[in-house]
Amino acid sequence: MKLDAILKNVLKPGRYTGGEYGQVIKNKDKISARFAFCFPDTYEIGMSNLGMKVLYNALNMMPDVWCERVYAPWPDMEEQMRKNGIPLYALESLDPVKDFDFMGITLQYELCYTNVLNMLSLSDIPVYSFERDERFPIIVGGGPCTYNAEPLCDFFDVFSIGEGEESLTEMTSLYISMKKDGSYTKSKFLHRLAKIPGFYVPSLYNVKYNADGTIKSYTPIYDDIPEKIQKRIINDLDSAPYPDKFVMPYIETVHNRITEEVYRGCIRGCRFCQAGIIYRPVREKSPEKVNEQIKCLYENTGYDEVSLLSLSISDYSRLSKLTEILLEWTDNEKVSLSLPSLRADTFSKELMDRISSIRQSGLTFAPEAGTPRLRDAINKNVTEEEILHACSLAFGGGKANVKLYFMIGLPTETYDDISGINDMGTKVVEQYYKTENRVKGRHPSVTLSCACFIPKPFTPFQWCGQNTIEQLTQKQNFLSEKITDKHLRFNYHDAKASRIEAALARGDRKLSAVLYEGFKLGMRFDSWDEFFSYEKWEKAFKNAGIDMSFYANRTFSTDEILPWDIIDIGVTKDFLLREYKKSLDSVPTPNCREKCSGCGANRLGGVTAWCPKVSE
Amino acid sequence: MVPESVRIKFRKTGRLRYISHLDLDRTVRTALVRIKIPVWYTEGFNPHAKIVFAQPLPLFAESECELLDIKITEKMPFEEIKRRLENAFTDDLHILDVYTPENSFRDIAFAEYRISGNFSVNENRVNDFLSKDININKKTKSGEKNVNIRPQIYSLKLNSDGTITTVLDASGNSYLNPDIFCRALLGDNADFLITRTNWFRSENHGITEFR
Ligand code: SF4
Repeated sequence: MKLDAILKNVLKPGRYTGGEYGQVIKNKDKISARFAFCFPDTYEIGMSNLGMKVLYNALNMMPDVWCERVYAPWPDMEEQMRKNGIPLYALESLDPVKDFDFMGITLQYELCYTNVLNMLSLSDIPVYSFERDERFPIIVGGGPCTYNAEPLCDFFDVFSIGEGEESLTEMTSLYISMKKDGSYTKSKFLHRLAKIPGFYVPSLYNVKYNADGTIKSYTPIYDDIPEKIQKRIINDLDSAPYPDKFVMPYIETVHNRITEEVYRGCIRGCRFCQAGIIYRPVREKSPEKVNEQIKCLYENTGYDEVSLLSLSISDYSRLSKLTEILLEWTDNEKVSLSLPSLRADTFSKELMDRISSIRQSGLTFAPEAGTPRLRDAINKNVTEEEILHACSLAFGGGKANVKLYFMIGLPTETYDDISGINDMGTKVVEQYYKTENRVKGRHPSVTLSCACFIPKPFTPFQWCGQNTIEQLTQKQNFLSEKITDKHLRFNYHDAKASRIEAALARGDRKLSAVLYEGFKLGMRFDSWDEFFSYEKWEKAFKNAGIDMSFYANRTFSTDEILPWDIIDIGVTKDFLLREYKKSLDSVPTPNCREKCSGCGANRLGGVTAWCPKVSE
Repeated sequence: MVPESVRIKFRKTGRLRYISHLDLDRTVRTALVRIKIPVWYTEGFNPHAKIVFAQPLPLFAESECELLDIKITEKMPFEEIKRRLENAFTDDLHILDVYTPENSFRDIAFAEYRISGNFSVNENRVNDFLSKDININKKTKSGEKNVNIRPQIYSLKLNSDGTITTVLDASGNSYLNPDIFCRALLGDNADFLITRTNWFRSENHGITEFR
């Protein structure tokens, strides 16, 4: 077989063979729709993604649908595939993706967009949707980036907006029924799909622009499709489908462990954070359900590590109960628990003792900003005392490594705020030596990790322009010179990559041309340092005649129509605007549990959320 | 009870050809937890299941005789262990036998391989090949070294179906990688598939069954 021959010439051939324990195999003759679920990054990263596991399971629960997995081949494999005429294939059947009914691509971060186009091309599928006739699969996009997928509009047939467990099932069911009753054509299918909540068919909406390049209007081309696409949510997480087994990779992936989602959404509303807004309202699983699902996955995988997933695990209202029932059996079975998203203000001795089995090398906290003033402005309601207290607990518990996450370039930031990052680091180091019960004879290592602020759609800072590369670099250098304590380590993100992310995140449909130019330049794997090339991106923007700063650095007007206004995420633009204005006065907002701020997400429903009822 | 040694014999084929020894080791460990075999754990700070493979199989090769030793801390009938193992893997890892080891892995002296693929070799070539020194360049830590692998070839036979059966040294000190053997006989670019088919011990200047 051709594939066998090329697998001898590539790194980590186990990425491309499939055949893992736990994969779903179905009889091709007995199913009505084939779904290729594509993750536009490496096997190792994609196999660790929980969303993909959840949807793989949900789709395969349908007896007449077979969902298979596809990952982006590393360039060495791509070269072999192109040279030998092997199109992109799915791992379960090894059949070419172009023979499937659906190609679903999950969009997790902007820098994977170049891989999306490359994967279409590797599948021998035309990248532009208008070039694809009935012979080609329906190309569906999903995942967090679809909340503003405008830059990808020219390449996708439809986007699934919001949580996909139910909507993808509805989509495939509609497809199957239309095929069966003979009414199916691609355009009729897309038209009917557009009437179902949660489906955005970009070709059915016309966009007009003002002379200055901003958006003038979005108009649906049919009157029976909605003007705005409302995101879908799962009402009750306890009854939503959750995988009872995982596909077990042979090769080492990013995480070889059980991941259990504990709740969706976030009560906090940090003003830079997109996840904290788009997943509202908060819906929790019951501790009993979480325990039951973990137990089942333990039986079916044999993994000895469980990671409790959520945006901020310590905000889970029944965390104490949950750890209690989990520890009843996990300790005996030598299963360790990890809580990857602890907040400093709710970090307690009790919690630390309970999860002492975590094989964590160090602790991480995210103050995000260096001064109380700026933390108020971004609504990161954590105080210096809380951080020092949490660090002190950690030091007393035998840790000497702490990592603190910050952002540089936040709206309203001054150089004092940047100095504050160093001040906080220094205080944490001092705290180490003040902690009586620390492990004597060791020295602390405190890492200050600084990302660049990226304005994201559906956040209170969505209007804010990003600092220029020069400004960001200047700030990074300033901080770097400030940091002199030898126990402090400083690392920061590449300002150039952050700028591209900002431009794509806030982009409109005109950016499809940029992505196409990038594709022609052979760009791919831009989320990997070794492949990211700012020069190529500049060239792609230039070739497309698009000004990057219009999207990355411009402060959008609050009465402008935003490219993502076509999507209704539940949270209102009004709320975001209120939050934006409060940020300018450095006024924080209480979290949802303290007080409802009327963000609007409660319109969507959702049991186990503490939002006020819709009727109230 | 004193931990009891159990030997597992399995076939490794198909897509598992592309899975390295280290990855197989991890796969088996996770599976043993999943199917609840009472495997003996090492003591200490980072306890791990004590499992030992006879020998790594080169990447891209198949095997009909892979051996793995585990120790169990509770009585469990071998039939039950076998039944559980059979459900723990895909068809590419097929359990053949579960038994009490009779020989130690240290006693392995030779391994038998079947070479199949798209090549043609005749009697003359085989006789010629075996009649003199077979010098190959071997990469070592201190650079390339020229070595004669002829003494490590115990036997070599052409089968009527065009495949080759060979018995090569597999002892700790002078193990011959079948891949190197194939390249020497068939050329660097030959298309071949190696299947390990058996193990042997030395006995009275000859070879005998390993169990
Ligand atoms: S409706 Fe109120 S409680 Fe619910 S997410 Fe919005 S602000 Fe929070």
